[in-house]
Amino acid sequence: MITIRQKSSHGFILPRYNIGLDSSGKDAKYTFISHAHADHMPSSADVVYATPATAKLMKARKFKGNVNTLDFGVPFSTTNARVTFYPAGHILGSAMTFVETNEGNLLYTGDFRCPASPTSEGFDIPDNIDYLITEATFSLPLYRWPRHELLFEEIRIFASKSLSEGHTPVFLAYSLGKTQEVMHALAPLNHPVQVHDSAFPLCQIYNDMGVDLGNYAKYDKETVQNTILVTPTQRLRNGMLDSIKKPKIAYVSGWATLESRRMQMNIDKRIPLSDHIDFFELIALCERLKPQKVLVTHTPNPDIVCHYLNNRKISASPIESFITHA
Amino acid sequence: MLNETLPYQPIPEYSFLAFSLLVQEISETRDGNDKIRIFERYIPKLENDTDLMLAVRFIGEGAFSKISEQSAKVGPRTIGLLAASFCQIDYDLVFKPSKKAAGSTSETIQRLMENIPEARKERNPEPLHLTEVQQIYTQLANTHSRKDKQNILSDTWKRMTGVEIKYFLRVMSRGSLRIGFDIQYIIQALAHTFEFDPDQIRYTYLITGDLGSTAVLAKNDELDKATFNIYHPISFMQATPSYESVEDLNNYMAEEIFDGMRCQVHTGKSGTRLFSRDHNDISKSFPEVVAFFNEKEFPETVLDGVLCVYFDDKIQPHQLLQKRIKLKRPASKILNEYPVIFIGFDILYHRNETTLHLPLMERRMLLEKISRDKGILVSNQFEVSDQVQLRKTFQRALDHGNDGLVLKNKNSTYECGLHSRSWIKMKQSDGSLDTVIMYAHAGSGKEVSFYSDFTLGIRVDDDERYEDEFIPIGKASCCNSNDEMKLLNSKIKDLIVERYGPTLALRPEIVVEIEFDEIQLNRRTKANFTLRLPRFRSIRWDLDKKDTHTLQDVEHLYQKKMNAPRIKQVENPSFIITGSSL
Repeated sequence: MITIRQKSSHGFILPRYNIGLDSSGKDAKYTFISHAHADHMPSSADVVYATPATAKLMKARKFKGNVNTLDFGVPFSTTNARVTFYPAGHILGSAMTFVETNEGNLLYTGDFRCPASPTSEGFDIPDNIDYLITEATFSLPLYRWPRHELLFEEIRIFASKSLSEGHTPVFLAYSLGKTQEVMHALAPLNHPVQVHDSAFPLCQIYNDMGVDLGNYAKYDKETVQNTILVTPTQRLRNGMLDSIKKPKIAYVSGWATLESRRMQMNIDKRIPLSDHIDFFELIALCERLKPQKVLVTHTPNPDIVCHYLNNRKISASPIESFITHA
Repeated sequence: MLNETLPYQPIPEYSFLAFSLLVQEISETRDGNDKIRIFERYIPKLENDTDLMLAVRFIGEGAFSKISEQSAKVGPRTIGLLAASFCQIDYDLVFKPSKKAAGSTSETIQRLMENIPEARKERNPEPLHLTEVQQIYTQLANTHSRKDKQNILSDTWKRMTGVEIKYFLRVMSRGSLRIGFDIQYIIQALAHTFEFDPDQIRYTYLITGDLGSTAVLAKNDELDKATFNIYHPISFMQATPSYESVEDLNNYMAEEIFDGMRCQVHTGKSGTRLFSRDHNDISKSFPEVVAFFNEKEFPETVLDGVLCVYFDDKIQPHQLLQKRIKLKRPASKILNEYPVIFIGFDILYHRNETTLHLPLMERRMLLEKISRDKGILVSNQFEVSDQVQLRKTFQRALDHGNDGLVLKNKNSTYECGLHSRSWIKMKQSDGSLDTVIMYAHAGSGKEVSFYSDFTLGIRVDDDERYEDEFIPIGKASCCNSNDEMKLLNSKIKDLIVERYGPTLALRPEIVVEIEFDEIQLNRRTKANFTLRLPRFRSIRWDLDKKDTHTLQDVEHLYQKKMNAPRIKQVENPSFIITGSSL
């Protein structure tokens, strides 16, 4: 049985193989970073491994340290294991880490989405998995995503309708991943888009990797009127919107599924476009793969996923019951 | 966004699906005027009077009109257990955490119905006429066992889409539809559609007590045919604390704010019924008051007033009334121990005519005549032409054990259901307490983007009766300024322990000084006490949670108020029988 250890609030260690998964980079010789979101990437480390796109995004997000790049599907041999990245479909560069050892293999999903985001490198997964460590952010049957083509269409309709009625459409979206996905959805409109400072340098990396983000510029309060603004949610509360005369605001997130978000955020539209797998997709994927053991993480409700999987004769438990604490 | 394709086209305007989609569209519209316009587009599509009546009732009042006193009486557990069984999921393991995450039973059920394949297979949506839905609500109201109610609900859900099920449940529960569209918006939409002044619509609604019927009267240009229905409560006029709007005291009469319970008496040939502020029939709890009015053989009359416990020539603490309120059939011992009187202070209807539109002093003359003829108690009115007189009268009210004064504009009409500046209340706060914030609740209206309501806790860490550190004592809104609200919202971010839909559970660290009108005994709460009208006085950033008041402090304040001396009703009493002494 592969021993898994957790040392800090995020990330795991496979001590017998000196491998870290989204961990600090200080507790293992080989640390693999799944993607460049802050809750998965350390702020500094001597050396970590990541895909080429993730490496660029990490640098753009002020990561201090060295990133060795590892392409998807190219096995990397450590002292006593073999590690391969599989595309996770979450955001650009996102990878699932497949570790093969003498004790069996393990797939750590990081954050993932299946079907994949069209602004990522797609989704692919090995067939025979012994241990699946899976995120389950949206682990309730409340969450079933509409097809992303429909949601992209909603994004375009919201923008076009708002503009035609004299409003400036504002999309609230996380600066890495969701912002670029919204821009990609808007690109066919060929209307000027402005993005928040925190997202702007990341957009260039998406462009470099061949993702079409349309006609965009950095946010400028003098010229933002009548463009389409994409900005992180936090800006809603710090006066950024005061510069816009007639904003129409859409919140783009898996969390937008719930009505309570409208009440909390004072928005015009909820668009439940998520970059995570939904509850039903996760159960279906596990049923298809039939791993020996599913270990559930990144959720306040791991018991529900485990209940569904165990009912389908797939052994599953919250990862907390499996890990050893250092 | 619906997770279910519409099952049939076209969608008939009279259908519950068309209604549900309308409500959903209103809920997804932020601007109040846009909401009204959406509703205005819908109204003319309902050609049939009954359809119009039901749609307006469902969106404004619930499954039944307020005056019908009917309710479907289906509890949340009955609904939750059925939903879990319908969707073939575990109630405790799956349904309850889903409900906790969504913060709403009805939304949870909508999502589960739309998402879970087994629940989709069970349902075959078909156009349900609004009248059929009304019949289902009536059927539920007339059904008593949980099992039978669940069978009715299950059969209904099989014929509905997810969004219909959500609004079917919300309409049924008589609570808010949670779409930011209150009765004032509906009145405006009806007024605009049928070309009336909103006040005419509002008045018709107030006297009929039935929003759906009001809509039909407006549609048929028959508002003048609206009749007042005695034995159906109408909304009470409320006073506001805006003393600054009083320009000339000579325009006002003062009455004491009695330490009792507001009550509307409907009396006439068919007997007497008493209604509380929230329109509940409380006649059975006060048989001596009912008997008093029945003996007097009144013509059809509606009086506004207050119930007080009265003995030893003193108005007794209103907390004693609580011993009576909860008893549906009080024994003679309790009737003797806590005798209750009704003191009238306004008249709303007399001999087949409403008197709401008459100026206060004309209503008062009528009230005094009835007092003289029938011997009923009425509030004493005092002239308060200057500040000295006002202060003296205010102090006397407090000495009587009452809460303060209400100043009533002599020319004011009776403004049902409104907090009116024609009645100004002057009250003395019972005190203040330092409490901590335990929960934050998302605001509504202008404060929608903030957590603006807070559940406040009182300290019980050294109290052997409790294992907690703090327990809830009241709920109040923040704040004195927008800046303070912003600061508080930024501070609570670091204290979040758990999220329940629109509510946050917080670590108890922020201290708030609150003031309140009074401490009330309430055995249904963990603290056994609640505070009436708690409000923020200040956020005490300088205080630690260890500096807050304890439950024992609350109990001490309560006892102190209960035992405070009260003067007898001898000179300048709070109430009189016109033309005689007490």
